[in-house]
Amino acid sequence: MANTRDIRLRIKGVKSTRQITRAMQMVATSKMKKAQDAAKSGRPYAMLLADIIVSVADEFEEITHKYFNDRPVRHRGILVIGTDKGLCGALNSNLFRMLADVDSSAKFVSVGKRATQYLSRTHRDLLADFSLPDKPRYSDIKAIIEFLLRAYGDDQIDTIEVLHTGFINTLRQEPELVRLFPLNDLDEMSQKLHERFGVNDHDVPKDKREILIENRDEVLAELGTLYLKQQIHQMVMESQASEHSARMVAMKTATDNAGNLINDLTLQYNRARQAAITQEILEISAATLSN
Amino acid sequence: MPITLEIVTPDATVYSEEVDHVVVPTANGKIDILPHHVPVIDKLIAGDLKVEKNGTVEYLAVSSGFVEVYSEKVSILTDEALKINEQDDSKIEEAVKRAQEALSEGKKSNLDLAAIQKLEAATRFALAQQIAKGKSK
Repeated sequence: MANTRDIRLRIKGVKSTRQITRAMQMVATSKMKKAQDAAKSGRPYAMLLADIIVSVADEFEEITHKYFNDRPVRHRGILVIGTDKGLCGALNSNLFRMLADVDSSAKFVSVGKRATQYLSRTHRDLLADFSLPDKPRYSDIKAIIEFLLRAYGDDQIDTIEVLHTGFINTLRQEPELVRLFPLNDLDEMSQKLHERFGVNDHDVPKDKREILIENRDEVLAELGTLYLKQQIHQMVMESQASEHSARMVAMKTATDNAGNLINDLTLQYNRARQAAITQEILEISAATLSN
Repeated sequence: MPITLEIVTPDATVYSEEVDHVVVPTANGKIDILPHHVPVIDKLIAGDLKVEKNGTVEYLAVSSGFVEVYSEKVSILTDEALKINEQDDSKIEEAVKRAQEALSEGKKSNLDLAAIQKLEAATRFALAQQIAKGKSK
């Protein structure tokens, strides 16, 4: 049996670990609330944008723009949104598991140190890596969008897909691989968006609106870019909300476990102390008896 | 009968109120929107947006984007929008100056096209604030 001094030292160690995990849990909780609100605030914009794209595209008999047309896929382009820091449970490993059955012709762009590390460790074709600040503004992700659009325009990649962690609620986050470009099925795009945000007015057809836009090709390209930008922004926000939620849950579990461990150790410590006392008494009384 | 004006930006819904009359800056000139307006989609350009509500007039500065009018509702999709009454003069002037300086410097140092377009958009938005402020006096 371990002696009392060793046990006391261990209790001390576990206590300070608990203090750290508890502090991290608090930080994650407050960040999580902000990130969740931010992830929700972009929704009206997404809905309105999708609506305008569908109405404008409806006017065309045939869309010849690159952003909206299918083409043979030689290289998939996948943007992986991971986290910078660890200690957030199985968030990143769940995310990367989705990549296991993507074949090696795919090219990758990564956000977050963990994603970059994973992709280079598995010898994937990594085109670029980006890092984002904690609360990314719309302008922060502009560089990523420009890079993706350039690669797509130059035929380096034939699709733009995003792998991110979708935020369902505080306890549930699920990795999702979403294809954004080419936008060849607008109806499906709009329906998916409605489903994701839980709005059910998709089936209500709107009357024709008069479209006063000239130079429609250019406008369609602009709408496509806006769509990509908005979607990626939304996914980054959701990934962050997921990250903070996962970290909060992981840290809460760690704090609870530390508490349990302390209880067990305290019990062991008391038992050891009592055993030592009993032992001493036995020795003393044995000594007096023998005299 | 009032119409609903809604201005949404990527970060939030900036404005959502019942109003009587809206004047929107578009690529085809300003359009005046009153109740029972025909459904329309148009391209929005950076400029001043005039809102009339219960006899009071308010100006907002908007950046470029799109505008949709549908069933008594005006939806504006833009990168940025500001209520101009909440901004003070010196700040706006400063913003205009800063944007113009950044733009001229950017042109000199041969930035790529996308970066210059971004600076131009910022300048236009700053100017739009100034114009809207001037009108609201």
